[in-house]
Amino acid sequence: MTFRRISRRTVLRGLGVAVSLPWLDAMGPVTAWAEQKPNQATPPNRMAFLYVPNGKNMADWTPSQEGTDFELPAILKPLEKVKQQLLVLTGLTADKARSHGDGGGDHARALAAFLTGAQPKKTDGTDIKVGVSADQVAASRVGHKTRLASLEIGCEHGAMAGNCDSGYSCVYSSTMSWRSGTQPLPKEVNPKLVFERLFSTVPNAERAQRDARRKSVLDFVREDSKDLQGRLGVNDVRKLDEYFSAVRDIEQRIARAQQLPPVKTPEYPQPTGIPSSYEEHIRLMCDLLVLAFQADVTRVCTFVLANEGSNKSYPFINVPEGHHELSHHGNDEAKKSKIRQINTFHTTQLAYLLEKLQATPEGDGTLLDHMMLAYGSGNSDGNAHNHDNLPLLLAGGGCGTLKPGRHVRYAKETPLNNLWLSLLNRLEIDLDQLGDSTGALSHLS
Amino acid sequence: MVWKPWSSLAYVGIALFSLEMAKGEGPNFGKEFLGKYCVACHSGQNPKAELSLSAWQTGDDWAKNRKSALNVLKMVAQAEMPPEGKQQPSVEERAALQKWVEAAFAFADQHAKPDPGRVTMRRLNRTEYKNTVRDLIGVDFDPTQDFPSDDIGHGFDNIGDVLTLSPVLMERYLAAAENIMTTAIMPNPPQPTKRYQSSQYCEPAGGNVKLEGRYRPIASDATEPVFTGPLNTPYKWEDDGVYIFRSRVYAQTEGQQPVRVAMLVHGPDLPDPDTDEDAATLVGNVIRPFKILKTVDITAVDAKKPQMLEVTVPAMPGRHRTSLAIVKPAEGQPPVKLYIEHLALEGPLDPRPASHRRLLACTPDRPQAEQTREVFRRFLPRAYRRPVTEDEVNRVVAVVEAAQKDEPKWESAMQVGFQAVLCSPKFLFRVELDDRPQHPDARPLDEFQLASRLSYFLWSSLPDDELRTLAEQQQLTANLEPQVKRMLQDTKSTALVHNFAVQWLQIQRLTSFSPDPTLFPRFDERLRQAMLQETVLFFESVVREDRSILDLLDANYTFVNEPLARLYGIADTNGNYVGQKPVGPRGQQIRGEKFQRVTLQDKQRGGLLTQASILTVTSNPTRTSPVKRGRWVLEQLLGAPPPPPPPNVPELPNDEKAIAGGSLRQRLELHRANPACANCHAKMDPLGFALENYDAIGTFRTKDGAFDIDPSGQLPDGETFQGTPDLKTVLLNMKGDFARCLAEKMTIYALGRGLEYYDRRAIDRMVAELEKNDYRFSTLVVEIVKSEPFRQRRGTTEN
Repeated sequence: MTFRRISRRTVLRGLGVAVSLPWLDAMGPVTAWAEQKPNQATPPNRMAFLYVPNGKNMADWTPSQEGTDFELPAILKPLEKVKQQLLVLTGLTADKARSHGDGGGDHARALAAFLTGAQPKKTDGTDIKVGVSADQVAASRVGHKTRLASLEIGCEHGAMAGNCDSGYSCVYSSTMSWRSGTQPLPKEVNPKLVFERLFSTVPNAERAQRDARRKSVLDFVREDSKDLQGRLGVNDVRKLDEYFSAVRDIEQRIARAQQLPPVKTPEYPQPTGIPSSYEEHIRLMCDLLVLAFQADVTRVCTFVLANEGSNKSYPFINVPEGHHELSHHGNDEAKKSKIRQINTFHTTQLAYLLEKLQATPEGDGTLLDHMMLAYGSGNSDGNAHNHDNLPLLLAGGGCGTLKPGRHVRYAKETPLNNLWLSLLNRLEIDLDQLGDSTGALSHLS
Repeated sequence: MVWKPWSSLAYVGIALFSLEMAKGEGPNFGKEFLGKYCVACHSGQNPKAELSLSAWQTGDDWAKNRKSALNVLKMVAQAEMPPEGKQQPSVEERAALQKWVEAAFAFADQHAKPDPGRVTMRRLNRTEYKNTVRDLIGVDFDPTQDFPSDDIGHGFDNIGDVLTLSPVLMERYLAAAENIMTTAIMPNPPQPTKRYQSSQYCEPAGGNVKLEGRYRPIASDATEPVFTGPLNTPYKWEDDGVYIFRSRVYAQTEGQQPVRVAMLVHGPDLPDPDTDEDAATLVGNVIRPFKILKTVDITAVDAKKPQMLEVTVPAMPGRHRTSLAIVKPAEGQPPVKLYIEHLALEGPLDPRPASHRRLLACTPDRPQAEQTREVFRRFLPRAYRRPVTEDEVNRVVAVVEAAQKDEPKWESAMQVGFQAVLCSPKFLFRVELDDRPQHPDARPLDEFQLASRLSYFLWSSLPDDELRTLAEQQQLTANLEPQVKRMLQDTKSTALVHNFAVQWLQIQRLTSFSPDPTLFPRFDERLRQAMLQETVLFFESVVREDRSILDLLDANYTFVNEPLARLYGIADTNGNYVGQKPVGPRGQQIRGEKFQRVTLQDKQRGGLLTQASILTVTSNPTRTSPVKRGRWVLEQLLGAPPPPPPPNVPELPNDEKAIAGGSLRQRLELHRANPACANCHAKMDPLGFALENYDAIGTFRTKDGAFDIDPSGQLPDGETFQGTPDLKTVLLNMKGDFARCLAEKMTIYALGRGLEYYDRRAIDRMVAELEKNDYRFSTLVVEIVKSEPFRQRRGTTEN
């Protein structure tokens, strides 16, 4: 395997900060769908979910005006350039993140319930259970159209110690995507591995040969495991099912790779590992997300910028305190201002991503026109741990199915899952219900 | 949720249970409580919530319905039941019910049939995968970068129920198996390397070296080393490789006897070297240690017809140089001259990696299919950690034979076979096959399963040959204790330190911890590593020296290197402080990255609590957190974790004056004024305040900003203390609780499952044995290994 030694910084420096030029034209592949199906006029719709932890300073997040004519408050200011591509959605609620008799643990619940609309089972080990997440519903329906059914990325490893939040397993506060109620999908935090997953780093012929070998290995494990039958306990069988579900997934992926046209590896400097700078790490992941959608390797992506309840410090923006610690600001103005700084740091990264997407031409528009990107948190005010009135943004045109450039206020207690249900509908996935949804969300288009 | 009556807040009260029963509520209390508050709704044909409580008469009835009973308790404790509008029990009554039920459970558990529980089969976690591959294949593969981090439950990353296997991980397993086998087996090995060194550049060298043609002469009557030899040249060697050492020479003498030369190998770690007497037979100064490989009489006398000397250098560690020396001519013989053109080394003759040779070793001259079978008959039982069936061997052989259709070389096809095994659930999971998986009776594991549990517990890897041989002979159970002691002495037991101790103490958080660089400029990567290393070495010393586990609470020694010694202000290995009058004789100064054992002179350091690693991970990036530290002591050392904060804690009053003017202590005391918080914080905070003399990265201090540190405190039971040394005494007085806590944590780690009420008997026994055996570390491990939950299992019919 070879690694190009051009640092990403060098590339970025060369390109300048303002992205008025379609940089990806120079660095990336020609948009895959267009190359393959020149006659097909409509690019596919995609969905991405970005998560930021510990709530927001809502006073500096929520625009005071509604409709098309609204001003971006402090935290959203960095998004000025893409304002016309934004829907600010106010008033949505993740009810299942509330205690409902389970006591403390609002952080764990906030992320676990965010895309599932299900109440996570309070356990610090055995028998974790929540629900299928919206992205995985999409992956199971449209995943067969691309090489990867979905992509799960993040910037923080799963927490490394103990139960993470008042008796909830760490898996809840570090996982956004749930393939089933009991199968969390860990996120990939190493850009090098994300790149290798998305794009072949070996020639296609070699890859085909490798796939064939893998196929024979998988055939073997299937055949060879039959003699375990009847000699395992109930829970062992559950674990084995999980194993075979993963095996099936890879078999399908190998089969798809044979059917789908080959993905061209973009001329992007291959990442070599996790950058030491958090900002650079986020931006690298953003770049990969753009490349993945652009090359149509996948149409579904979740991205956890930091684990829920994260106590990461942000010394590079002069916030040396831990994020979680600060979020319990007790209405102390100095602390609130630091929280605002962290919130704004994150929206600045979002702006970077959205501007990239907007600068990437595709079909008769841009990549951003052909996707639905949700950004938000399952906690509203980190100090109060409330799960109503969540901070949420929806960006992109959704192939003409969304009408962005507005601030929409919904009735109190409108389930967040109504939004996810409506996004799934826009991927032509017809569902009546998803988690605790009560119906489609109005006023998106 | 699992109710662990002995490890919650009720913990301390355990010994008092029977007493409580006697003096407090009588055996009928439960029935009376239900009768007074519950059965009106929860009885009859259609009981509310389909829960009828009318039959719950005795404590045993509660214990039999443990799941429902816990629910009832929870509802009552949280005041959700009885519902509003019905007659409410007093706070005291609610608490009394809790105590009564706990006592009932404890009583029932003491008299119940032993239940060893059942462990869900465990996927190898990243560490176990790495170590297993190392010991099975002989390849170092680091999965930490490639595999997603392992899920954690009950504080550890080896819990069967919790470890999941995602498609991403499966993909990584496939890729890892490919990588590992590419390293382990080399289907197209390179030719052995040949290296020449012209004699001109052989050592000893110098500007005065003179050549005659291409030859450098050395003579038996010369005086300087450059002219006497021996001539030598250094090399890099593979320890286990065989090499050929060659040299092209001719010689001249006036005497009757031929010139004799010696071919030598040198190296600092050479096994069984030759003696000084042997050296005295040679001309010149011989580098020691050395070995004479061969002596040869030189027949060539002419530069045009030189002679090629050749000797095989067998595999041996520590080879460093080869040389050529003249053997001293016999007494009375004229001096001799040797002309050397070059020294050469070829090898290793077999450039295939050791893993290749070991994995594919087979009887030569047999049909290839048989060789394949032979290889996997040997490999599979090790990989699956149990005897295998011929069918299992056949299936792998079939994979290899299918691969041979596309692969020109047997070795390449064999790689595929090994990859298949490495991706099999039989390798990736620690499967404990069971012919009666649903049968509820307790029964012992078989010896191979026991060997596996033992080796993964102490080594995080597969059983070695000795364990496997004992299992084959059905002798392992009979030899558990000596085996445990042997295994703890083996270097592989560092796995127990790195996995168990580091997770128990929660110090792996150190790796991602970033103290505020302006407040703590001296915190850097070196210090971070040093902090972790101190705790690792300290715990390891307790394991290796089989010390008392109480040393973990307070000890008169620790390990520091220079960065850490600076942080601690420690000047030397006798524990004197920098800038203070020495309290004892001066020891060795502490310099560089290397760790040294330090004897401590006072109570400022010593034991886990005062180690920078723990003081740092229990702090915030900008300041200490007495609450976190207190909670850590309760949770990790005393096994009595405080309950999570109640939901919707009211905000602290935004008292500007308190924030601006109060010390941390005063501000936290404000916090405790809130009755919703006071109960638990009264337990946590004093423990944390006792450690306030150590800042957020563990430096000793007497002031926090403008405020003097006040490390004194009072525990809920009224006991007061003045600071850290007193705290250590308090903890040492609670050694039973500490022993129980450590026993519980280590048993969770050993079993790979959370503890259940029926494990209490086993834990009790461990604590009792520890007390009898001076709290020796090996006692704890031996007792865990001998316990029923470790050696036995039962079947399950439900989740």
